[in-house]
Amino acid sequence: MSETLLEVEDLRTVFHTDKETIHAVDGVSFDVEAGETVGLVGESGSGKSVTARSVLGLVDEPGVIEAGSITFQGDELVGGNWDQHRGDIAIVFQDPMNSLNPVYTVGNQIKEALRIHQNLRGREATEKAVELLEDVGIPDAARRVSEYPHQFSGGMRQRAVIAIALACDPELLVCDEPTTALDVTIQAQILELLDELQREEDLGVLFITHDMGVIEETADRVNVMYAGEFVESAPVDDLFTEPRHPYTRGLLASIPGRNADGDRLPTIEGEVPTSTSEPTSCRFAPRCDYAFGACEEVHPERVRVGDVDTDHEVACLLYDDEFEETAPEGGVEAHGGESA
Amino acid sequence: MSVDTSRFGEALGDGRTVIWLAAGLFLFVLEAGAAANFVVGLLIDIVLAIPGVDSAGFLPGVKSAVESIPTLLSRETIPNQGYYDGSSYQNTFLGLAPAMAWAIRATLVYVYAFVLLGWMWTGYRLYVEQYRVADWTPRDDVVDRFRSHKWGIFGLLIVFMFVTMAMFAPALGPTTVDQNMRNSYGHQIDYWDSDSQSVETITVGDANLGSLSQGNDRNIGPWEYDDYGRFHPFGTMQNGRDLFTFLMMGSRISLVIGVLSVALSASMAASLAMTAAYYKGRVDLSMVLVSDAIMAMPQLLLLIMLTTVLADTWINEIYSGGFLLALIFAFTGWTYMWRSIRGPALQVSEREWIDAARSFGQRPTTIMRKHMLPYVTGYLLIYGSMTLGGAIISIAGLSYLGLGVAPPTPEWGRAVNLGQDYVTTGSWHISLIPGILITLVVTGFNALGDGIRDAIDPQSDSAGGEAAGAGAGA
Repeated sequence: MSETLLEVEDLRTVFHTDKETIHAVDGVSFDVEAGETVGLVGESGSGKSVTARSVLGLVDEPGVIEAGSITFQGDELVGGNWDQHRGDIAIVFQDPMNSLNPVYTVGNQIKEALRIHQNLRGREATEKAVELLEDVGIPDAARRVSEYPHQFSGGMRQRAVIAIALACDPELLVCDEPTTALDVTIQAQILELLDELQREEDLGVLFITHDMGVIEETADRVNVMYAGEFVESAPVDDLFTEPRHPYTRGLLASIPGRNADGDRLPTIEGEVPTSTSEPTSCRFAPRCDYAFGACEEVHPERVRVGDVDTDHEVACLLYDDEFEETAPEGGVEAHGGESA
Repeated sequence: MSVDTSRFGEALGDGRTVIWLAAGLFLFVLEAGAAANFVVGLLIDIVLAIPGVDSAGFLPGVKSAVESIPTLLSRETIPNQGYYDGSSYQNTFLGLAPAMAWAIRATLVYVYAFVLLGWMWTGYRLYVEQYRVADWTPRDDVVDRFRSHKWGIFGLLIVFMFVTMAMFAPALGPTTVDQNMRNSYGHQIDYWDSDSQSVETITVGDANLGSLSQGNDRNIGPWEYDDYGRFHPFGTMQNGRDLFTFLMMGSRISLVIGVLSVALSASMAASLAMTAAYYKGRVDLSMVLVSDAIMAMPQLLLLIMLTTVLADTWINEIYSGGFLLALIFAFTGWTYMWRSIRGPALQVSEREWIDAARSFGQRPTTIMRKHMLPYVTGYLLIYGSMTLGGAIISIAGLSYLGLGVAPPTPEWGRAVNLGQDYVTTGSWHISLIPGILITLVVTGFNALGDGIRDAIDPQSDSAGGEAAGAGAGA
């Protein structure tokens, strides 16, 4: 086992608005180790990005981390202690168009981070910035360093953003949908780059996406997020070969090309509900094909499934021994993949 | 970097930069005395305004030494105050008539100012073409859009002429404030007495009494000479003083108070808007409450109350009460500007590069200054320009009511007030001319603001001037 970088325990981030309190992240727990990629997958509005922002301490008012703990290399961060680890956790945002400030040159923005974290200025900083741009695969970096973001293409911009993140010399890289705004070929290149950097620097990566295909390629462990909760957590191979939760099955079924025989791509009807109160039922139940009576009354606990040595957890009453009697015969397995 | 230095070398070898620098030096030498005079005079005025500092020290010596530096556009180089000795004009420029000499000086002042403007524009173009690393920046588009905005250009011209008026006020007037108003019995002039057919001497104060404009029978109108051979481009005032000189000096105080109050309120508004947008939530809400409370106070009543209450304090003595006015305008006026730029600031604060900077540990103040402020400076320019127009109206309005800038310091609003009784008579010019000037200048500032807004944000609707009304407080 390698060193555990980040430990998130029962994290709850809520937003207090005038009308109601929104539980955006509702009790999630996960660890990220050095050299490991942890995937976080879910629909829009499931709380992925808020989780990422919570880890970085970037939750703005009216949002607040209400409970739980985030420890980085053993130091508790919740309660405003992010400053001691600023730069150890770096983030790559979704839209490189927006995460670079258009009025400063790319080099300038890399140097800003270098100045804070490596205390480099002037010529030294410029040289280091060129070096970083070369590391992320930007050709002719010496010239590119003094260009503005609008002179970069989308893929190059994302490379520049990654270079800024690397300028902080981080231990953990949080990637918030880093490839969503890019086209597929560029996406593959960026993923390759991230993979390479991770191996070189032994980075821990928290990778957030809604794209199951990307998760399959990059992650070591996957957490499936729904309405602020993790409904299923498993090693990547296990998740893709033996998905348990009906929601995970739905997500996998809606990947084009996975079920070539169907003439229409199956979808999950409806959308992610906004969690405004403590859960009293399964939040996925209204959209679930396998829901039964108890689903409306009991909030499912996470239970361990599958082999003892695979760390596979799922929050679904279908797998809870307590409800074995009332659950429909055979559960999800009986229906197989056909209806999913 | 090597790329940059070779570029600089190439550009310097071109020769255009050298010509441009030489032209700049030449322009500066022509007016070096005036520039030094302006700076030193301002500094000395500030020092003397500090309570307890005695004016009998070495300061007046410094002042007169600076005043003796020769400059092209000065009363000494092109004098217009002379007298007719029966055959020709004495002591005027080239022996021309006082009106001609004055007209030449005033024209030269404006020619100089516009040449200076052209020089600065050429310099900017030279920088863009030769020295700037980037071939194109978004600001180029803004400049291009402004250049094709006729209304904005009109505003710029008016504002530029107004600023020139304020800068060159002493050189533009046919006489000086000290000689004509403050110390009129301490100065004597020679004039041609047509009755006795000889050159007589009289104090300026007495001459003023002989050139009153108080209706149809006693009137020195625009572009007329009085009985003492003095030329009055805008005529005289009801007390015989020269209206043109009065207005020139008045433009200076309007501009100084206006710029000071707008700069103060803009910096308050900007820093508070940055703070509100960065921290959001409760910080933002409390600022909204404070600014609403200040906005709820009737500004004109507050101005009248504060100017009356603080009338006898030392702060009211700085710049004839102008400094106090600027402070009051700033502290009541920042709310409007803060409201206007809070929106754009909140918008910028949501951009991801702010979060990126926060994530790598940049200090909040640096983020506000580096990553947020550049996006609201455009708005500051727009609202600043429009508020400046409003401030000038407010200052004029207060002096019209007899408050604000203390007499005898010239102020446009007071000229309107002084001439009010004679509007229906032959002395209509006393009120009308300053009134037209105020209208023109305020229109100019608003037009400039419109132009800047359309240039910065091409999507904005130039017809709906929601910002235009914000400035006019009193």
